[in-house]
Amino acid sequence: MSVDLDVHAAAVAAGDLDAFGRWVAGAEPAVRASLRPFAARVDAEAVVQETLFRVWQVARRFVADGRPNGLLRLALRIARNLAVDEMRRLRTIPADPASIARLADDPADAVQPVEPDPRLREAIADCRRRLPPRPAAAIAARIDGDGVTPDRLLAAALDMRLNTFLQNVSRARKLLLACLEARGVRVAEELR
Amino acid sequence: MTPAERAALVEAVTTARRDVRADGRVVAAPAWHDLDAVAREEAFDAIVAQRRLEAAVDPDGLSTTARAVLARIRGW
Repeated sequence: MSVDLDVHAAAVAAGDLDAFGRWVAGAEPAVRASLRPFAARVDAEAVVQETLFRVWQVARRFVADGRPNGLLRLALRIARNLAVDEMRRLRTIPADPASIARLADDPADAVQPVEPDPRLREAIADCRRRLPPRPAAAIAARIDGDGVTPDRLLAAALDMRLNTFLQNVSRARKLLLACLEARGVRVAEELR
Repeated sequence: MTPAERAALVEAVTTARRDVRADGRVVAAPAWHDLDAVAREEAFDAIVAQRRLEAAVDPDGLSTTARAVLARIRGW
C-alpha cells in the first residue's frame, strides 16, 4: 500500500528528530531503490546516507507542492544528483550520452514508499530464532552496531576473525531469506 | 582474487558503517573500490535485503543505515 510520508514533513521541518526517523523508515527503501541503476558505478550506501543527511539539513525550508511525498521526491532528486556527482569524481560516468540520460532520468514518480507489513516482521522474527548460533550472533551484532561500529570491532567482541564474522553475516542473511521463501514470502518482491 | 576473498569483500561492503570525509561527505566503503561491476551489483542487492531485514526487526522500523544517519545528525 502506498503512503504519503509528508504526514511527517511539518514535524521534520520543525526539527523533530523522532519524526525524521519515522520519515526515514518509510523513505529509505525508495531512495535506495532509485539508486539501482548506479549500483555498479557508485557506492549506493554512501549516497543513501548522504542523501538522508542532506534532507534533514534542508527540510526546514521544504514547501509542499500539494502532491503526496514531496519530501521523498526531493530526496530522490538529491540522491540522483549526488550519484552523478560521485560518478564524475570517480570517473565512472559512462561516455555514452544516452546512458547518462537514462541514469539521470527523474525517478520521482517511479519509486513509492511502502508501508511495513506486520506479517513479514513476524516471519523474519521467527526465521531469526531458527538461525544457528554463530550466524545469529553475527547478524545481531551488525544490527546492534547501529551502522557506526566497524566490523573488526564487532568480530573481536564475538571472538571471531573478521573473515569468519563476514562469512557468518552472509550465511545468516542467506538462511533468513531461504527460511522466508519456505514460509511463502516472495523475497524478491517484498525485500527489494 | 579467490571466490572466498571476493565474497568477503562483498560482505564487507554490506555494513552501514561509512567514513565521513573532512568536507563532511560520506565516502564509499574501501572494499567497494576493489569490487568489479558484477560484484558491486551483488553487494547492492545484498544491502537491499539486509536493510529490509534490519528494519523489519527494529521496533521503530529503522535499518542500520537509518541509525547511522540519525547518529550523525545527533553529533552534527
